[in-house]
Amino acid sequence: MHSATLPRTSGRRGAFLLTLIKYAILVMVAILCLMPFVWVWSSAFKPSLEIADTPLALPREPTLQNFANAWIQGRFAKYFTNSLIVTVPIVGFTLLLSSLAGYAFARHYFRGRQTLFYAFLLGLTLPFTSIMIPLYYTLRDTGLLGTYWAMIVPQTAIGLPFGIFIMRAFFQSLPRELEDSGRVDGCNEFGVFWRVMLPLTTPGMITLGIFSFLGAWNSFLLPLIFMQRESLRPLVVGLMFFQSRYTRDFALIMAGATIISVPVIVVYIIFQRQFIQGLTAGAVKG
Amino acid sequence: MSVRPRSLRRSWRRQALPLLFVLPALLVYALFVLWPFVNTIHYSLTDWDGAQPVKNFIGLANYRDMFADPLMWLSLRHNLIWIALGTLTPVVIGLVLANLVWSGVKGRTLFRTIFFMPVVLASVVVGIIWHWIYHPLFGPINVVLRNMGLEQVARGWLGDYDWALYALLLAGLWAYFGFCFVILLAALQGIDMEIHDAAMIDGAGSFKRFWHVTVPQLAPVLTMLTAFTLIGGFNVFDIIFVTTKGGPANATDVLATYTYRQAFTLNEAGYGATLTMMITVLSLVASYTFITLRERGQ
Repeated sequence: MHSATLPRTSGRRGAFLLTLIKYAILVMVAILCLMPFVWVWSSAFKPSLEIADTPLALPREPTLQNFANAWIQGRFAKYFTNSLIVTVPIVGFTLLLSSLAGYAFARHYFRGRQTLFYAFLLGLTLPFTSIMIPLYYTLRDTGLLGTYWAMIVPQTAIGLPFGIFIMRAFFQSLPRELEDSGRVDGCNEFGVFWRVMLPLTTPGMITLGIFSFLGAWNSFLLPLIFMQRESLRPLVVGLMFFQSRYTRDFALIMAGATIISVPVIVVYIIFQRQFIQGLTAGAVKG
Repeated sequence: MSVRPRSLRRSWRRQALPLLFVLPALLVYALFVLWPFVNTIHYSLTDWDGAQPVKNFIGLANYRDMFADPLMWLSLRHNLIWIALGTLTPVVIGLVLANLVWSGVKGRTLFRTIFFMPVVLASVVVGIIWHWIYHPLFGPINVVLRNMGLEQVARGWLGDYDWALYALLLAGLWAYFGFCFVILLAALQGIDMEIHDAAMIDGAGSFKRFWHVTVPQLAPVLTMLTAFTLIGGFNVFDIIFVTTKGGPANATDVLATYTYRQAFTLNEAGYGATLTMMITVLSLVASYTFITLRERGQ
């Protein structure tokens, strides 16, 4: 009896210990992930002197002064507007062009379909670096450099391979009968696409929209090269120049970092289910 | 007589119309991705400086120069270090954590949300956060080290020739492992539990089950993740440019930062294009090798 129960209890205790270690590891990693966010966001509310004194503590006298300084003197108001002005059309054009092409690739057979699709897939593996230099001179010679288009058009173009890939998969998953019923109801080909098929791919559009938003909002090298004029800078590039100008004023830099990161984190938290589904569907199945 | 218009209308619907749907995307993509890529190849064979009206064809001279350029080799070495450590570590950490979460924990979604948070952050913001974390005076790392009495260990991490690259790698790891975690967790949730249970009945221990049952089933996803990370590793730019700009004394220069300087600070469009060809070829070779491996595996 004794010898029978002893291993069982020690086994149970062992299992408990394992569970404890498991949670300890997960919680520790979670803290390591969150800590820098907490530092940045709380530092943004501290007076500069307090950061130098007690960099790790929570703010003693929270202030909004850093945000006001970054927003007005640091011109973050301008950079924020610029980011919006380029991001909204990029997301719109990416959705429109990707769903049009994705629909044709998924639902129609035409000569050259395979070749065209492979041409788009090439873009998935081609890094931005490999096109940036000639693109700069093309934009310069066409007069687009120095306008918002210098970011809107290339960023949309780069996003198309992934967008078409995703939208094609969503259109492929729709049943054939729907398309035919649209035709019977007297829709023309564009009507079938626009009124019948497109509304059914809303989850796909949301997924692609989030990717496109994050890609445009966070994009750095592209606007660094193509949006060199100060008045065109989006937030990310603005923050970089801001940081080199106010190297010593951490509170101000942290306020800037907060202004950029909060919209992204909010969008991520709201749409994380669609986002992670889209990400893993592409990676695990595709 | 009536056959021809109908077949014409047919072929319009079957051939031309789908092309019309593809055309807008194709136009934008061809003009702003494919054509510039063809031009990169062209530029790399010239000595163009971005200003002259003509581009002098100089054959492979840029490539010869590139292979004799010590800074290119130094940058490439840093890319390879970045890849060797930056590919393996996040995949392994992601795999371990995904297994822990998959083995059944409360708050799975919460952990996933938190681990993935750094991934959605702009790499410029990641760079700025870590620039501050490593700050010689008020950086949290040095503050903690001093409080622990380890004054001699504290240093300006990003200004230190020997440490800067590894310090940046750690920041990159922080911002990237969550991506591997999320992908691997999804892959684990899709694996065939019957084989897993059969192995358990056969008396395979948990490590054996993991190694012989789980890992082979994850192989395609692991291949994909590795390819993805390799491409990222050859193209790393943002986090380095924002923090060190390749310094101190080229200690953190990678191909992309070196190329940027050549192309946009020194206006060496021709030589810059040659350097981007190096990045391009390495990225394409990496991805196609892994795609082939993956297809052979299936």
